Amino acid sequence: MKEIIKITIALTISCLLAGTVIGTTFIFTARAKQQNEHLNVEQTMLGLLGYGKHSPAPPELNLHQVHRYIVKDGDTMRMGYLVPVRKGSGQGYAFVILDLKGGFVEQYDLDLSSEEALSAEDRKKALGRTLKAPMQFDFADTMIIACLGEERTAYLLPGEFPGFKTFIKAMVALGADFQLLGLEVIEHEEDPGLGGEITQDYFKNQFVGKSFDKLKRLTVIKEPLPEDYERYLRAMGKDKGGLSTDEVAEIQKHYLDQDIYALTGATISSAAVTNGVKAMAKKFAYRIQILDQAVDTGNVPVLF
Amino acid sequence: MPATTKTNFQLVVNGLLNENPIFRLALSMCPAVGISTTVANGLLLGVAVLFVQVFSSCTISLIKDHIHPRIRIPTYTLTIATWVTVIDLVLAAYVPVAYKAMGIFVRLIVAFAIITMRLEVFACRNSVSASFWDGIGMGFGFMFGMVTLGAVREILGMGTFLGYDVLGFRPLLFFVLPAAGFFLVGIMMAVFNYVETLYHRRGKRES
Repeated sequence: MKEIIKITIALTISCLLAGTVIGTTFIFTARAKQQNEHLNVEQTMLGLLGYGKHSPAPPELNLHQVHRYIVKDGDTMRMGYLVPVRKGSGQGYAFVILDLKGGFVEQYDLDLSSEEALSAEDRKKALGRTLKAPMQFDFADTMIIACLGEERTAYLLPGEFPGFKTFIKAMVALGADFQLLGLEVIEHEEDPGLGGEITQDYFKNQFVGKSFDKLKRLTVIKEPLPEDYERYLRAMGKDKGGLSTDEVAEIQKHYLDQDIYALTGATISSAAVTNGVKAMAKKFAYRIQILDQAVDTGNVPVLF
Repeated sequence: MPATTKTNFQLVVNGLLNENPIFRLALSMCPAVGISTTVANGLLLGVAVLFVQVFSSCTISLIKDHIHPRIRIPTYTLTIATWVTVIDLVLAAYVPVAYKAMGIFVRLIVAFAIITMRLEVFACRNSVSASFWDGIGMGFGFMFGMVTLGAVREILGMGTFLGYDVLGFRPLLFFVLPAAGFFLVGIMMAVFNYVETLYHRRGKRES
């Protein structure tokens, strides 16, 4: 009996010690990890827009972040958008509140600097200072509007949707007409080799170029990729992979209107990504139109 | 087994040649066969294993008098798991590019036989400094094995070295497959045995 107690105590102490060591290391490395993630996200965004090491982003490129909040005013539910606005000669931030049908309700000027706007905590504090009780707000999601000068070039949407295992975090780039410019899978927990192949170019590139009409009705084809299509997808972005310009144009024309070919052995993951991208695109198109209308009605001097 | 009588330098050379974990002790052959496809992979994993081995050996050597004999193995496993997690977090934070390529394999170090075996056979009977140098020897022996295999497989299989195109063509893609890993480990074991026989023969002739 005494032995068992000794063993239990020894094991408990060992576990606690191990936990302390791991916890301390985690605290020390957490900040470096966050910085890496931040850089990674920036690189992903620029990459989706077509900029990279070989073609750096021009200085007129502005990535305006618009944050969506759900506002509860007593019993009524409203939508709130934190938008960058023109303030004098510089940039400020405003919070625009819309009702659930998209009608403009009111706007508030926010006391927020450009650096603070990048941190979720500071945004929450600024909103807390301006919106008095009984108004409550909850963060929903973010959309990024890329503008070259005054003109909109693209929309970047970070989003999360359920996958085969747990969730899939992705970023979708839509053009000005909501056609899909690019897709990047940022985080997932799918099986490596099966569902994990959603990060590969030959799967992601299938989405590129699809018009918004096609996106709205996108489904999954349970067949393996045709060989010429696969060659084209793998070559996209790099050299033409031995295909002549005519062949490329023909393949593009033929397959642009097709649905997504599922990954072998990963139909559910493929369908999850397809449905997730479809939902993100549809919801965003609806919301940005509403926001644009409301901003016009309320005469909010937004920067995008 | 009583405490060792080797000097620190002898311990390091021991881990590198006499008791090389992969080619003489025949332990941890899974990573040797599966992950040594390129030099970069082998190098990174070798460094990670070196760190885990050294830290685990020193830790167990420090607490060797307090480990209850009935829970030796759980204690070893706990120590190794802690250090592997620490290495994993540090690599993820400070070398993210390398971590993206190697991240999955770093966590598998917990299951390597060489580390547990070394703790059981050496660290729990020897002083901290002896365990430290033995860990260094074993770690370097493992890294040497991985890098050698990786070099052969990468040059003969892909024509590159550390990612740089050396040959310009791919001699035999077979070398990238795990089967080639097995063959190469066998060949290296034969080489090690042959060198040892020569060494002993020379020793006998001189005495």
